[in-house]
Amino acid sequence: MKPIRVLIAKPGLDGHDRGALIIAQALRDHGMEVIYTGLRQSAVQIARAAIQEDVDVVGLSSLSGAHKSLFPKVVEALADQGASDIPVIGGGVIPAEDIPYLEEKGVQKIFTSGSPTDAIAIYIKQLIDQETIESPNKIAHIGIAVESIDAVLPFYQHTLGLELAAVEEVQSEQVRVAFLRIGETMFELLEPLSDESSIQTFLTKKGEGIHHIALEVEGIEKRLKQYKEQGIRLINEEPKPGAHNSQIAFIHPKASNGVLFELCEHGKED
Amino acid sequence: MTHSSSDHHLKLQWEKDVEKTTQRFPERKESFHTSSEIPIDRLYSPEQISQNYIANIGFPGQYPYTRGIQPTMYRSRYWTMRQYAGFGSAEETNERFRYLLKQGQTGLSVAFDLPTQIGYDSDDPMADGEVGKVGVAIDSLKDMEQLFNEIPLDQVSTSMTINAPASILLAMYIAVGEKQGVSPQKLTGTIQNDILKEYIARGTYIYPPKPSMRLITDIFGYCQENLPKFNTISISGYHIREAGSTAVQEVAFTIANGMAYVDAAIEAGLKVDQFAPRLAFFFNAHNQFFEEAAKFRAARRMWAKIMKEHYGAENPKSWKLRFHTQTGGSTLTAQQPDNNIVRVTLQALAAVMGGTQSLHTNSRDEALALPTEESARIALRTQQIIANESGVADTIDPLAGSYYVESLTDQIEQEAQAYLDRIKEFGGAVQAVEEGYMQREIHKSAYDAQKRIESREDIVVGMNEFQLDEEIHADLLRVDEALEQSQIQKTQRVRDERDQAAVEQCLDNLRTAAKGTDNVMPHIVEAVKVYATVGEIANVLREEFGEYTGM
Repeated sequence: MKPIRVLIAKPGLDGHDRGALIIAQALRDHGMEVIYTGLRQSAVQIARAAIQEDVDVVGLSSLSGAHKSLFPKVVEALADQGASDIPVIGGGVIPAEDIPYLEEKGVQKIFTSGSPTDAIAIYIKQLIDQETIESPNKIAHIGIAVESIDAVLPFYQHTLGLELAAVEEVQSEQVRVAFLRIGETMFELLEPLSDESSIQTFLTKKGEGIHHIALEVEGIEKRLKQYKEQGIRLINEEPKPGAHNSQIAFIHPKASNGVLFELCEHGKED
Repeated sequence: MTHSSSDHHLKLQWEKDVEKTTQRFPERKESFHTSSEIPIDRLYSPEQISQNYIANIGFPGQYPYTRGIQPTMYRSRYWTMRQYAGFGSAEETNERFRYLLKQGQTGLSVAFDLPTQIGYDSDDPMADGEVGKVGVAIDSLKDMEQLFNEIPLDQVSTSMTINAPASILLAMYIAVGEKQGVSPQKLTGTIQNDILKEYIARGTYIYPPKPSMRLITDIFGYCQENLPKFNTISISGYHIREAGSTAVQEVAFTIANGMAYVDAAIEAGLKVDQFAPRLAFFFNAHNQFFEEAAKFRAARRMWAKIMKEHYGAENPKSWKLRFHTQTGGSTLTAQQPDNNIVRVTLQALAAVMGGTQSLHTNSRDEALALPTEESARIALRTQQIIANESGVADTIDPLAGSYYVESLTDQIEQEAQAYLDRIKEFGGAVQAVEEGYMQREIHKSAYDAQKRIESREDIVVGMNEFQLDEEIHADLLRVDEALEQSQIQKTQRVRDERDQAAVEQCLDNLRTAAKGTDNVMPHIVEAVKVYATVGEIANVLREEFGEYTGM
């Protein structure tokens, strides 16, 4: 595959290029081809260099406070020269409240002081390779922790009138599960088989109730890899076998403000 | 120093204890290092420091000045508290200056905007978007008059961070003084005027190295006759460190640049003892407390030896390395900005332990914007607390005799000397800069430091550890975007009202001097007095000297 080409540019008169040089080096270490313009480039010079060097993305750095005037000019200059398809990203000393303005003016993304170089490299890879995250297909099931499946089944079967699809024991998780079909999705009742079960921990801490939401996805392994690169906290970094011939993994509730999400991918049904 | 056998026994016992303890509780790291990769021992003891007290450490105010350049240091007078300030228009900056003086600041330090620093008027297309952003916009003497309005120049010392166009801004300062009735002989202050570090680290160069060095020696020559109390250069390690160097590289490259200026002045026919007493230095105060304090002590000793032994200077004033310090801007975090107050305090303390002559303490919000008035006041108060409350200024060089600090002082000197030897092989600092040697060394150190932060080998509190889930956004200083237009109009009015023929005559005279070997300084003074602008004067020199276009 052709390496990603990046133009790192210093618009305006600012002479601070420690950050620009470090990012150039870090992107090279990520396998990209990086061209650095040097100091004091005008917007037109930067756009011209981007086109001549046939780059995939332009990264701007300014620490002098001139970003609000200079960054949009680079976006405009690229458009004027028929290269509005080259995305522009930026960084430097940029107050958070200036970011919406810059994004509105067509800057794709601003990385502020303290951003790890890895995050910038990953962002660029995703931007260029269109490695965007796809929407999950549906809610696979909603997991509900219960003390005893037998005790609650009558409510689901008779009061709500749902159909019981299956009851299974998952020994590795020390849990017995009952699935009740509802439209395209299911409820999953979870009953602990022993004190070691994480469901028991949940019940002790919070009592009975909604435990997790499972999302049906395609390409679970790739998605987990992307999450890992982005530093999203995961309970399972690798998929593990779940009920019904599925591959599952949990995202850490710290990453989702307290909601426990399960990703699951079902094998093709024969 | 001799050790009795019982001392030796005690040491062996301690080493045994260490072995036992580390088996159960391993140390935090396998090895410890300073920022300059100097290994840090577990413990320092008398055998690690050089034995010759008088030759290496001596007394304050005496060669080689390891303990300080004055015999009484801060027992007589605290360091000068000099906060760097400037933004927007001359009027606004004048207001901030008067505020700081009223708050007990003892010297001024002017920050100029980038167009001024690179010799462009505010209406030059190159200045677009940058007017008044990182400092005050100065186009003509009119702006300079407003900047120092109601500030008597015979009562303050003024430091100006100006390099490539240093002669122009100095000329304006002289002209403002004359209008106030203060003769040039009475003016005190400093111009940065250090072009070599601009090529290495800071970026506000205009002309190529050779004519730039000539402008500098012209200033040396002019000031020796006319401004005897003015520091003609501030040889700056500050920006070298900000660009990512280690402490050792900061000392080494700064001293190498200093030697290049001395060489150039001698070559221009000046006598070392005539100009050397007016050379000043400017260092960074970074995070590692003991390494920083030792760095200042090592730099002083090295410069004294170089001036006395290498250049044969005879006046003790030529041997003394006088320096300003600023706390390390790049150590400040945008995250949890109030933590920066604590960082600045420790850095400022290291500068005081190192015997600085003047100090700028950074404000907590400078990773985000220029400081607000409140932030600038806390920064000044930090110095005032160190001076008045901590008691650290009550004896001279209190870290002297610390086995660790003396050992670090020796090691920094040795390693910096190794760099000086390498630069000498290039033929001196000018050649080393032209070949990009120092730039490469600094970049290597900067990249290593970044990787240590990202791998969390180095912890930056609030940034890669101890983060807050939600950052609190502080109120920031915003430079009025409308300022650029009003500054442009103001300068155009100056052009309309001045004596155009006189301006052209002065610029012609300057051109003739620049073509030949006459000192350009008197011509620049004449030109600013008839309101020729910074851009117009810089452009005459651009046409004669050419422009430096980077590596």
